[in-house]
Amino acid sequence: MNLAPLNVALVGVLGLLGIGMYGLLMTRNLIKTVIVLQILVKAAVLALVMAGSAAGQIHLGQSLALTVIVADTIVAVVGLALAIQVRRRCGTLDVQALATLRR
Amino acid sequence: MPSIDLTTILTLLTVGFLWIGAVAVLWAGDGRRQMQNLLAAGFAVAAGLAALGLLPLATGQAVVRIAMGSFFGDFTFVPDGLGVFLAAVATVVGSLAVIFSIDYMHEEAQLGRYYALVLFFIGAMAGLVLAGNLLLLFLFWEMVAFCSYALISFHNDDPKAVAGGIKALVITQLGGLGLLAGVLTAYATLGNYQVEYFLANAHTVPPAALAVIAFGFLIAAAAKSAQVPFHTWLPDAMEAPTPVSALIHAATMVNAGVYLLARFYPAFADVPGWRTAVMTVGVLSALLAAGLALMATDLKRVLAYSTISQLGYMVYAVGVGAIFASQFHLLSHAVFKALLFLGAGAVIHLVGTRDMQQMGGLGRQMPFVRNVFVIGALALAGIPILNGFWSKELILEAGFAGGPFAAYVIMLAVAGLTALYTFRTVWLVFFGPPGADSPSRERNPAAGDAPPAMRVALGTLVLGTFVTWLLAGPFGNLLEIGIKGPAFGHVSSTLRVVEEVLAAPTTLIALIVVSLGLAVWYWRAKLPANATASGAAGFRAWFARDGGFEGLNHAIAGLIQGSSEALRTTQTGQLNWNIVGIAGGLAIVLAILALGA
Amino acid sequence: MSSILLVAGILVCAVQAIRATRLLVAALWLAGTSGLLAILLYMLGAHEVAVVELSVGAGLVTVLFVFAIGIAGEEAMDAHGLLPTPLATGLAILPLLLLGWLILPVNSTGYLAGFTAGTADFSNVLWQQRGLDVLVQIVLIFAGVVAVLGLLAEVPAGAREDKVSPAEGVRVPSNKDLLSGTTILFAPEIRNQQAEIPGDHIAEPEQAVEEAHR
Repeated sequence: MNLAPLNVALVGVLGLLGIGMYGLLMTRNLIKTVIVLQILVKAAVLALVMAGSAAGQIHLGQSLALTVIVADTIVAVVGLALAIQVRRRCGTLDVQALATLRR
Repeated sequence: MPSIDLTTILTLLTVGFLWIGAVAVLWAGDGRRQMQNLLAAGFAVAAGLAALGLLPLATGQAVVRIAMGSFFGDFTFVPDGLGVFLAAVATVVGSLAVIFSIDYMHEEAQLGRYYALVLFFIGAMAGLVLAGNLLLLFLFWEMVAFCSYALISFHNDDPKAVAGGIKALVITQLGGLGLLAGVLTAYATLGNYQVEYFLANAHTVPPAALAVIAFGFLIAAAAKSAQVPFHTWLPDAMEAPTPVSALIHAATMVNAGVYLLARFYPAFADVPGWRTAVMTVGVLSALLAAGLALMATDLKRVLAYSTISQLGYMVYAVGVGAIFASQFHLLSHAVFKALLFLGAGAVIHLVGTRDMQQMGGLGRQMPFVRNVFVIGALALAGIPILNGFWSKELILEAGFAGGPFAAYVIMLAVAGLTALYTFRTVWLVFFGPPGADSPSRERNPAAGDAPPAMRVALGTLVLGTFVTWLLAGPFGNLLEIGIKGPAFGHVSSTLRVVEEVLAAPTTLIALIVVSLGLAVWYWRAKLPANATASGAAGFRAWFARDGGFEGLNHAIAGLIQGSSEALRTTQTGQLNWNIVGIAGGLAIVLAILALGA
Repeated sequence: MSSILLVAGILVCAVQAIRATRLLVAALWLAGTSGLLAILLYMLGAHEVAVVELSVGAGLVTVLFVFAIGIAGEEAMDAHGLLPTPLATGLAILPLLLLGWLILPVNSTGYLAGFTAGTADFSNVLWQQRGLDVLVQIVLIFAGVVAVLGLLAEVPAGAREDKVSPAEGVRVPSNKDLLSGTTILFAPEIRNQQAEIPGDHIAEPEQAVEEAHR
């Protein structure tokens, strides 16, 4: 089987991971953080499907990827609900301002 | 899956009633307390009846089979003798605790949360003992742990209750890790999660892997059953409302550990060192806890220590291979310990303190509670003809025949100690002179005996204390259903058990030791107070520190706290810097992999 | 060739989503990433997941973001992160280089040698072989719904007065407010902090440890 698309997809996985990691390191807005998390998880979905495809067990990969998508959607929903609630109660979404809660 | 028959229905109902009840109670809302009381009691009793109905139907076959896919195997429920018996104990004692709660909790807020958790707790325990799949067993195991945490911390505005709950959660999670390690090792070697398959094929597991499984399960059982060295959570769990304590001690939580050992004994018996380890854990727990119970002044703590001690007996019995005696003692213990706890609850409810030094002379004020408590205490001490006597004798006899002599001697001494601390407790609470700083003078003289719902629960348990030992024969037959192997012994009729116990010389010895304990207490009561202080000062000091185990706990906690303090500067509370840690850690792990590969 | 273009497109969209200064724009770039990813998944043979990714990832999640941003409002975002940019870049790239060096390129003799091609179709794998996953997903969705219902419960009157302008710094909402908005079933710690919150400390870790000792 032709492995070239898989290697390309793997580069895509690495790229998404890097972008997501950089985003998490630099983002200060809570909602933006949730967006970045979505990007990171897309890397995971792609990696699972890629691995399944490479191993000839695409449907196992798909099944796992589906679980990841569901879990990730829940993360997004709960994360956004949390962000909204934080915004309502504390009036800001900036993680640095929120960090003062600790002190 | 066989056609839907009565066994299947009852198995499902045993768990189902409780969980549906939990939802229903929440649904009713805290505004309708009578409704909640009714729903909780109704569903609990229904589940108890379902479990009782299951007793004659016990079978070694899986009656409920939920396909979970080829990766996980089927989730099965197997109502075999052992499982059905423990489910019945959990649900019947549990339903009595719920009935008791109607009076006990009548002033508490958030009744819905309380009942929902209690019902969920009992249901999880019933599911745990009926589960026929290791993964399912683990899931129920964790549910039980969660419920115990949430119920111990039920008074969540009280820091002590919260701390007690967290302690229970952390320690039992430690045990849960052992169970998980064992379950996963079993799956890794056998490729199957079914308990039945595991028991049948345990001999094909490589010895090293089997040892991991066996000791992992032992750690899990010791943590859950509050055995040495994991016993420290149980006394702190006393912050829970008293019916919950009764549940944890008699019906659900702590029995799970003994159940686990009994269930898997046939597979682990030949693992080198395992039986010795089990016996050691049991003997140490029984001895240490009995000493602690003798020193405690908090009524509920005394009962908690006595639970650890009695569980030590059961674990010891599993260690010597006497599964029947172990489970029979579990039955007796469930009945009399529930009785003692609910009785203590009635006392505490009335007096408003748990300090026994402030009690005394309560006997006249609450004769009903006094009578039932004394009966429970006699059973705990092992006085014939109450149920505790028979089962404890069976364990001692088996220990004499099948275990090391030193262990037998210690357990015998513990029987004496048990009698000693039991009589001390009864004396301090009901008969002794009211304490000097006693609030009893301000005690409401009109506050009378136990209210009706409490009486129903207590009366049923008193009856049980007198009669459960008569069930030895049928019980022995029940346990053999679905269990292979000779480990369970053949107990065909009650009469034979009675003959055996009465004929054995160990019975006489044990009775002498027990009456010695009584005599010591009697003699001690006549002496002025300083006699105790001078006589056993060192002993006392040692036990006062919980035999050093609480100190060990503190040392570990202190170590962790110190290192946490040192690491605290790294916790900036700022998201981006925390991510630096994650990314850096990933880089380090990958670098190691890259270098190693 | 087309896969290279697709991956390039995905990466560009992702970078744009990170760089965008307006939340709404970032969410739309994310939807673009998702859409392109769905096509790539389809090309790799994952037809069912591609559909799910398109409808959930590009559709539902985007709607959620737009909805959430509408409620929370666009906040003028400070473009400057807390970390120096070179450090962040280095930390993001270093693991990738290592990872890439470890696993690239995929060929048929390395990791893949041990696998045999599966024959079961998707529905078979999902429902028969991994039934537990489906169950867990259902539980997860249910838990998510309950969590959101709890979180988005109406803020009762009185809680809002805690809102202060960022200039004054953030005031800790009083504990009563945390509780009253939602029915917290199983969170005893929160109520436990009641005594400590009015001061400067939210329950310090050592206090919790000390309590655990007792």
